[in-house]
Amino acid sequence: MSASRPVPVPDAVSAPYWAAAAEHVLTVARCARCGQASMPPEVVCPHCRSTDPQFTFAPVSGRGIIRSWTVVRQAFLPGFDADVPFVLVDVELDEQPGLRMIGRLRDGVDARLQLSAAVVGDFEDLAEGIAIPAFVLAP
Amino acid sequence: MSARFSAGNAVAIAGFATTEAVRHAEQALGALAVDTARSAIADAGLRVDQIDGFVSSSLLPSAGGHRPEEGVSVVSSAWLAQQLGVSPDYAAGFDGIGQITGSVAIAVNAVASGAADYVLLHRALHNPRGRRYHSNPMREVHGALQWTAPQGFFGPLAMIALPYTEYLQRFGARRESMAAVVVEARKNGARIPWSYWHDRPLSSQEYLSAPMLCDPVCRYDCDIPVDGVAAFVLTTAERARDLPHRPVYVAGYASGAPQTPRLPTHWPLDDIIEGGAEMARKLWAHSGIGPAQVDLPQVYDGFAPLVWLWLEALGICPTGEAHRFVDAGGIDADRPGSVPALSGGGALGNGRMHGLPQMLECYLQLAHRAGPRQRDEVNVGLACHSSPHYGGAVVYTAEGVC
Repeated sequence: MSASRPVPVPDAVSAPYWAAAAEHVLTVARCARCGQASMPPEVVCPHCRSTDPQFTFAPVSGRGIIRSWTVVRQAFLPGFDADVPFVLVDVELDEQPGLRMIGRLRDGVDARLQLSAAVVGDFEDLAEGIAIPAFVLAP
Repeated sequence: MSARFSAGNAVAIAGFATTEAVRHAEQALGALAVDTARSAIADAGLRVDQIDGFVSSSLLPSAGGHRPEEGVSVVSSAWLAQQLGVSPDYAAGFDGIGQITGSVAIAVNAVASGAADYVLLHRALHNPRGRRYHSNPMREVHGALQWTAPQGFFGPLAMIALPYTEYLQRFGARRESMAAVVVEARKNGARIPWSYWHDRPLSSQEYLSAPMLCDPVCRYDCDIPVDGVAAFVLTTAERARDLPHRPVYVAGYASGAPQTPRLPTHWPLDDIIEGGAEMARKLWAHSGIGPAQVDLPQVYDGFAPLVWLWLEALGICPTGEAHRFVDAGGIDADRPGSVPALSGGGALGNGRMHGLPQMLECYLQLAHRAGPRQRDEVNVGLACHSSPHYGGAVVYTAEGVC
């Protein structure tokens, strides 16, 4: 638990995402018009350009590949000083080409990384009822 | 925007002024801006009451969440005109990414259309006291940042670190090669009297021993936040020819406009490469200038990896080759035949002046006002800002070229 880190404040669109995350279920926004997934859920669907996408959050496998990464050694937000250094990975999810998420890689800074390495979804429990999507290297 | 700009070379820069770049100025930012504006207007041989247009971009480019305060942390065009006692016919601000490119475009369009005869373009940059430049005290994350900040992806260092890692991995580059970029910027910045780094070049050894902040980004890959202001006066080519200094003409401009929405500050390498190529196509078409004609490209370097990305976007070297090109002395401004892409010191060699060093170097060299740094036979300059897929660039020409 790292209660002093900034916590997400769910809004009308994102509430189902954070509710699912609290149950350790990763979801992505899916447009009700065209069925395509997008992250983040914008006001307008980036695929069909609908102004009324009525996004729903559907579970995804959490499987994907690493497109890039960084090791954060200096934090610019409160509550991370005890966490640094930590690894962030830029992941392309298997569900849809171009569907990207960025999260912590929980294997630590000594993990050997390379482009296209496979990852699976994981979660960081921040506080009661708040979990943040993250990744670990696929076994 | 597929055809050549009908107002190409119809508008010119007629004068300028700049402050020193310092960590924290003794005067308030607004006071510096007013003094700098007056100096620029006088430099152009004009009176304040002749200025009828004001253009700028007032953004404080920090992730710190500072509340903007006019005259203290930001200076808008309307505020500046009011403090100068001018009631302008035209005052506008650019609010996209690539603040200098965008401001120049607005100023040129205003003059070319006749909305204003003499436009003062300024940019004022502030380094707030109290906490690290990009540190943000947020405890709750609302809106777009909820998708990235809770996991610690926040601020421009992590933003540039991701495409930088991707570049190193994809093209077999080494971060040690970035030393040549930063040493070149600091070498040139050390020669500029108003630079924060005046008389303070950097050695490769110093670069390589700097602490890592966000791998592979180290301390010296980042420009240092400063207080500073620069201002330029733009007018029609005809009017400029009657003013004291040799005019420098604006041939054209282009900005990037990526089509795919991304997570906040997520800049995938392919977005930069593909968006940069599209921006460059627009730039050459708009300006009527080809890449081979540019003898003074000034690439943007707020973060050092952007130098490699800009060199490639502009076609100065092939995609994936900039690290070798720079390592081999390709941008050494002192080497005959090289591409002097950081001859003005850039942001790394001047301080966080956000695109101003690039514009200023183009102006000074093409106006033959660079003093002991004056280069021979420079006719076409190109000033870049931000990333190739967002910020874009402006093409400048010297008297007698077009």
